[in-house]
Amino acid sequence: MKRPKIISVLCIIGFIMVVFAFVNVFSPDIKKIGMAVPALYGAIIAMQFISLVGVWYFKQWGTTAYLIAFFSKLIFHMLINDTGIGFYVFVLVSIISAVYFLRYFTKMNPNF
Amino acid sequence: MILRPIKKFSATFKTCKAMVFLLFKESVRFAWQALVGNKLRSFLSLLGITIGIFAIILVFTIVDSLESNIRSSIQSLGNNVIYVQKWPWSFGENYPWWKYMNRPLPQYEELEDLIKRSKTTEALAYRMGVRKVVKFQSNSIENCVIGGISHEFFKIKNFEISDGRYFTLSEAEGGYQVALIGDKIKEGLFPNTDPLGKQIKISGFKATVIGVIKKEGESMLGGSMDNQVLIPFNFGRKFMDTRSENSDPIIFAKAKPNITNVEMADELTGLLRSVRRLKPAAEDNFALNETSLLSKGFDMLFDIIGKAGWIIGGFSILVGGFGIANIMFVSVRERTNIIGIQKSLGAKNHFILIQFLTESILLSLFGGIIGLLLIYLLTFGASGAIDMEITLTATNIFLGLTVSVLIGVISGFVPAYGASQLDPVEAIRTT
Repeated sequence: MKRPKIISVLCIIGFIMVVFAFVNVFSPDIKKIGMAVPALYGAIIAMQFISLVGVWYFKQWGTTAYLIAFFSKLIFHMLINDTGIGFYVFVLVSIISAVYFLRYFTKMNPNF
Repeated sequence: MILRPIKKFSATFKTCKAMVFLLFKESVRFAWQALVGNKLRSFLSLLGITIGIFAIILVFTIVDSLESNIRSSIQSLGNNVIYVQKWPWSFGENYPWWKYMNRPLPQYEELEDLIKRSKTTEALAYRMGVRKVVKFQSNSIENCVIGGISHEFFKIKNFEISDGRYFTLSEAEGGYQVALIGDKIKEGLFPNTDPLGKQIKISGFKATVIGVIKKEGESMLGGSMDNQVLIPFNFGRKFMDTRSENSDPIIFAKAKPNITNVEMADELTGLLRSVRRLKPAAEDNFALNETSLLSKGFDMLFDIIGKAGWIIGGFSILVGGFGIANIMFVSVRERTNIIGIQKSLGAKNHFILIQFLTESILLSLFGGIIGLLLIYLLTFGASGAIDMEITLTATNIFLGLTVSVLIGVISGFVPAYGASQLDPVEAIRTT
C-alpha cells in the first residue's frame, strides 16, 4: 500500500522536531545533570529519527520503534523535570502521530 | 539432563556472539576500504563534523575552565565572610545607583564600634587600597596595590608568609612604617637580594619590609596578593583618604563557627544602623555583600554563554550531519551494483544496513576525534600563553565522541536503509 498523505505530513513534522530536539543534546541544562545524560538523550532522539524513517517506508517496526521512543522521551523529560511549553507541544504532536500510525499499523509492511 | 537446555542456550549464544562480531568486523573492513578509497571526499565530508565538534566543545571547554577558575577565586574569598561596603554587588537591570551614591563609606571608627559590640563575628577587619609607585633604590614598580589593613585582616583573608612575619598588634595599632610585600613586588624590587629589613618607598614614605607573601598566582577576580603591599592601616592613612571612594574602604566580618551568614548579617545590620544612628523608618545606608551574590551573578553569565555556544555549535553539528548524509547517498549510488552482487550472493538486508551505517559512524567519529584533538592542542597552547588553566574535561570528550556517533547514525541511517531495501536484480543492472 502507498503511504497515506497524513502519514507523510506527520513524518515531516516529526523530522523537523527531531532536528530541533537534537540540538538540545548540547543544552547546558541537560549537560549539568550528568556525564551520560546528553548521550542518553541523544540516543532517544536517534531512535525517534530511525522510527520516523521506518514509518516513512511504511514499515510496522517504525510504529513500534516510534512508540518506544515516545515513551522513553516522555519518561526522560519527566525525570529531569522539564515540563515547559515545548514538552506539551511534543506530547500533543506525538500522541496525534501515534494515533494515526497505529490506525494504519495493520496496512504497514511487517518485514524489516 | 537438566543442564542440556542451558548448554544448548550457551552454544547458541556463543554462535550468535561470533556472528555479530564477524558481521561488525566485516562492516568495519568494508567501511574502511570505502573511506580510504576516497580520501579527499572522506576528508571533506568529515570536515563539517570536525568544525561542529570543534565549535561546540571549544565553547564548553572555555566556559567550564572559566567557571572553575572563577569559582576557586570566589572560594578563596571565603564563604563565611561579609563585606560591609557602600555599593552592593548585584547584577541585573534594577540597580538604583542614585540611592547608593549618597551613602557614606565605611570608616575605621565604625570597625572599632563593631568589634566592641559584635557577638557573632570571629574576626572583623578594615582594609582600604590605592595604587601607587613603590621604589627600592633604582628599582620601581608602578600601579602597585597598597593595602592599608587592620591587624585582624590575616584572620579573614587566607594568605601565607613565605619569608619574615606578619605585623604585631602594636605595629598595626601604632602605625609603624612596616610592610609585607607580594611575590611579584619582591621579584621586581629585589631580584637578587633578600628583601627583609630593606626600606621601600611608598608615596614618599619609607617602610621596612618585614615579610614576603607566598606566591598565589593570578586570580580571575583580581585581588591576587602577588602584586600587593600590605601596610598597617594607621600608617596608610597618612597618604590614603578614608573618605575617598578611590581608596575603596571595606569592613570584613567573619562569622564564628556554627553562626550562619544570615545570623551575622542580621546582627551587623542592627549594629551598623545603631552606629550610623539611622531612624527606624530609614533605609540601610550600607551594603552587606557575600560571595554567594557573586556566584549567582556568574551563574547567570555562564548560563548565557553556555546557551549561546549550545545554539551555535548545535546547528553547526547539524550542518556537518547533512554533509555526511549527502556523501553517504553518493556512496550508496556509486556502489549500487556491488550491493546487488552482495545481496544476490546471500547478504541480508541488515548486513547492508550495518555496512553503510558503520561507514557513516566511522566517518563522523573520525571528524569528532580530529575536532577534539584540535581543541586539545589549542588548550595545550593556550595554557602556556595565558595565566589560566584551560582543561578539556572527560565529560566534554565523552560528549564530543557520543555526539559524533549519534550524528553518524542519524545522517547515515536513511541512505543505509535505502541501500538495504534495494532489489538485487535492479541493483546489479545499475551502472
